[in-house]
Amino acid sequence: MISFDNVTLKYSTGTIFENLSFSVQAGSKVCITGHSGTGKSSVLKIIQGYVKPHSGSVQVGGMKLGRDTVKDIRSQIAYVPQNINLPVSNGDELTRMLNVSSKRRDVELLMGQLGLEKEMFVRPFDEMSGGQKQRVVIAVCLSLDRDIVLLDEPTSSLDDDAILKLLKVVSGLKDKTVISSSHHHEWGAAMEQEVRLGVQG
Amino acid sequence: MIDIKLWDLLLGFSILVIPVLIFRYYKVTLNGDLIISVLRMIVQLFLVAVYLEWIFEKNNAWINTAWVLIMVMVGGATVVKRVGISWKQFLLPFIIAGLISMTIIDGFFLGLVIKSGYFFDARYFVPISGMVLGNSLNHNIVGLTAFFKGLHKDRELYYFLLTNSGSSRLALRPFIQDALIKGLNPLLATMSVIGLISLPGMMTGQILGGASPAVAIKYQVMIMLAIFVGCTLTLVLSILFSKRMAFDEMGNVRGES
Repeated sequence: MISFDNVTLKYSTGTIFENLSFSVQAGSKVCITGHSGTGKSSVLKIIQGYVKPHSGSVQVGGMKLGRDTVKDIRSQIAYVPQNINLPVSNGDELTRMLNVSSKRRDVELLMGQLGLEKEMFVRPFDEMSGGQKQRVVIAVCLSLDRDIVLLDEPTSSLDDDAILKLLKVVSGLKDKTVISSSHHHEWGAAMEQEVRLGVQG
Repeated sequence: MIDIKLWDLLLGFSILVIPVLIFRYYKVTLNGDLIISVLRMIVQLFLVAVYLEWIFEKNNAWINTAWVLIMVMVGGATVVKRVGISWKQFLLPFIIAGLISMTIIDGFFLGLVIKSGYFFDARYFVPISGMVLGNSLNHNIVGLTAFFKGLHKDRELYYFLLTNSGSSRLALRPFIQDALIKGLNPLLATMSVIGLISLPGMMTGQILGGASPAVAIKYQVMIMLAIFVGCTLTLVLSILFSKRMAFDEMGNVRGES
């Protein structure tokens, strides 16, 4: 289970959200929604300990997030950021960079479920669209087989068909907790739970 | 050797008007640094000339070692200043990196390759340490700037790698690779064209001083290797020793909320 208890996030520019509380049961599929700047991506970073909230407490998998537990918490998570400047040229190199080159078959299987051909595993990212590259990165991260999957704006570069395929894959992750951030209404509506940011009350 | 007269020296300085005009035209705020650097160079070299005469005359292991230690400390301080990071956190790791690197390089080249008999002989120990340190300084600044800037600019990549690989070693790897490439590439370029479009100072000086070109070349090759290995070691050790300072207790890049 993941829970936020009265979490307040402030940056130097101002308060992003105040007293945010929600809990996510293990295995749930959750979407964090809200307008730009309401802290959707920050929620995913707080779960991983990369952003420190001003107040409140966060629990992940029965552990209170802190310096003693952060490593164990991160080891349960697969994280797909929104925009990332990867210093590798294809999916194969990405698996080697993460030291999971043995997962090639799993990645190729997931890529197939996401609507990509196997050979795209070795195709240079430069020769792919943004959506194709994003799906390769998602496939590599899902192949890590972690209990918690964090997807930051996974639909941002995908067309409708690719979004449906990703939804099917995410829904099929029965025993995994998936938390995504999105301002895509259909995506949010398809999740079991929605946490809305930027809304009073 | 032909001496340079005082008026001719002043004439030599007048050529600095070219970079001064270029900096002014492009509004690059380097003129203050240029004046300070040139004045420091003059004072330091004058003092070194006086000091070296004394140091060569004494040729004492403790004095020579103290001189090299001072060079390492000044080098560490210069790197911290130029990279623009915290003195309190990074000075000590950089000094320790420089000391370890110098010990290995001097031990290998003076003790095993040149075998001067007296390890701390001022004629070898001081100038060779100085050349390695001086060159390491520039390349260390370039490499460490790339490392720290990369971590701040691409912190999303660091977080992506740290969570998904579970290893800070793997998460830091691309940043260390970038630092090594940016820091050492110029030195590799220098080595590849040495003798063609650049004549190394030490070799030229030895030949002008009357040494045989064959001996001068052998020394130059050895010193280039010492510089390259010294730069690589200092840069990697500086990164590894300063790693703890660059991240907070949660393993995050410092400077974030």
